[in-house]
Amino acid sequence: MQKGNQLTRKIIGRFLRAISVAFWVMVLSFVMIRVAPGDPASARLGPGAEKAAIEVLRKQLHLGGNPITQFFSYVNELIHGNLGVSLQDGVKVVDIINRTLPITIYLILLSTLCALIVSIPIGTYIGWSGKGSLVYGFRGLTAIFLATPNFFIAMVGILFFSVRHNWAPVFGYDNSFPQNLHYLWLPVAVNTIILSSVISRVLFSSVSETKDEEFVETGIIRGVGRRRFFWFYILKPSLAPTVVLLSYMMGTMLGATVILETVFSLPGIGRELVGAVLTSDYPVVQGILLYFGVITVLLSFIGDLIAYLLDRRVKI
Amino acid sequence: MSEQPLVIIDELKIDVRLTRAKRLPIVDTATFDVKRGEIIGLIGESGSGKTMLCRSLVGTLHRRGAYIASGKLVFDGIDLVAAKGAQWSEIRGKQIGYVPQSALAGPNPVMLIGAQIEEAILQDKNFPKSKVKERAIELLNIVQIRRPEVVMHQYQHELSGGMKQRVMIACAIAQQPQLIVADEPTTGLDVTVQAEIMRLLLSIRAEFNTSIILVSHDLPLVNQICDDIVVMHAGTTVEKIPSKDITHAKHPYTRALYDSRIDLVEPKGKLTTINGQPPTVGSWPAGCRFSEWCNFVRDECRVPQTMPIIPLGPDHYTTCIRYTELDK
Repeated sequence: MQKGNQLTRKIIGRFLRAISVAFWVMVLSFVMIRVAPGDPASARLGPGAEKAAIEVLRKQLHLGGNPITQFFSYVNELIHGNLGVSLQDGVKVVDIINRTLPITIYLILLSTLCALIVSIPIGTYIGWSGKGSLVYGFRGLTAIFLATPNFFIAMVGILFFSVRHNWAPVFGYDNSFPQNLHYLWLPVAVNTIILSSVISRVLFSSVSETKDEEFVETGIIRGVGRRRFFWFYILKPSLAPTVVLLSYMMGTMLGATVILETVFSLPGIGRELVGAVLTSDYPVVQGILLYFGVITVLLSFIGDLIAYLLDRRVKI
Repeated sequence: MSEQPLVIIDELKIDVRLTRAKRLPIVDTATFDVKRGEIIGLIGESGSGKTMLCRSLVGTLHRRGAYIASGKLVFDGIDLVAAKGAQWSEIRGKQIGYVPQSALAGPNPVMLIGAQIEEAILQDKNFPKSKVKERAIELLNIVQIRRPEVVMHQYQHELSGGMKQRVMIACAIAQQPQLIVADEPTTGLDVTVQAEIMRLLLSIRAEFNTSIILVSHDLPLVNQICDDIVVMHAGTTVEKIPSKDITHAKHPYTRALYDSRIDLVEPKGKLTTINGQPPTVGSWPAGCRFSEWCNFVRDECRVPQTMPIIPLGPDHYTTCIRYTELDK
């Protein structure tokens, strides 16, 4: 009875911390874009626009005035679920995000799934066997993938699969579900390679640590069956660091996939964000960063929670 | 009684594989029997090969790159030197229970205590699933854990060192094995807890007639509950002696070990120690391995291969060729 309470209290505490982080992400995103150089009005009117015209537009867009009052009106709008409209073309920020976010999420979720399918067997097998030659080859190969920039791997992929064999489109996207895989499989594959290199390495080192632990020996001597042994004595005690890392990486990938989106010309949210920053499109930048922040915080909350449920030694 | 001993260890030699060509003897050689219902104390300093000897009994030498190089190892009529996977799975956990080193381990950290005990119980494929919980609580009662229903739903980090070790013992006796191998089960525990665990092992023996091999480096502690003591030094079993005779040991190393105890009841004034470092694996002296630290050493002790097993009684042997002169 008491134990259940303790667990709930821990989870609630962790959740409150997540919310407070999300709040500070919102504040920071508001401040940062305003500190950065650039002016939305002059960006919208283009180079060589008259000063007077810029001033008029600035007034129209409510860009003048006290930043603190601006912040409070931003928060006020936010509470009412209003992220504002783009300063460049007047499109609702929510619509922009709804259009571009799913593409990026698809990319991240698919590559995470593939990376797990690839890394778990490889990482555990090599960690458990501990064979010198195998470990050497594994370390070398993953080091190569980690040292190579993802756009380079992406371009080699395009040259091979798109240009030479025409198995993948060079650019474009289709929003409906099975069709979009046609456009996504190559970027997903590239991302999977890099992600698996990281994840399998972490899992490898956890498993090679776990296997020398005394309780593993006890399990062998107890005569635990193969499947049970694999889950309860190898994978489960080793998985927590991987889960935490993965949840964190999935969050940072939201922004980091901009490179892949650019190389493969995918209309994802990363590209949208870069465009908005370049034109000082405050509401769009704020909106996207807020989404990123909340998603990242939520993911790491879920990651910590799963890690804790797997292994009670983890602190949350 | 001409009953076969439960375990026969005869001139057992264990090597560890360093590289493809290089091997290092780590146990060389061990000789002793374990009778049914007998508690054997296996005593020695760190690096004397006691843990490796234990692993050979549970078939996990290969995890440390070691293997049985020669000699005899028989458990209940089964030749363990030649035992293969299928035979091992019949023996491990069912006929031989294992209690790990308390300082290093304990229960699996990602499983509830209850789940682990149930796992140990269900190694018997025919055990009725409906009675598993009942049996788990019964086992926890045997190892004298209070409030077993609560402990079943706890993880190992919520338990004290002594509780963890009780749980490990509960798992080890789940199948009522004929032999329990306990590798330093009380190292690092409170003195009072040590005594409780020892008492628990005694009561288990009394109830199930289990043989126990109790590994320790604490000779006075183990001497209180064991029938026989086997002393290991530098990979060799140098003496086997009934524990009641420990004060009349016939090997200088056993004497040195016993004399270097700290007696709290009757302080001796000066604490006896063995001078110098124990020999490290791979640099054992030729001849008697204790010769470099021994006060009785003569030239003939340094002749290579002089560690004959000299029987002194049914449960007593020494490997010291000068044992008759120890009391002079």
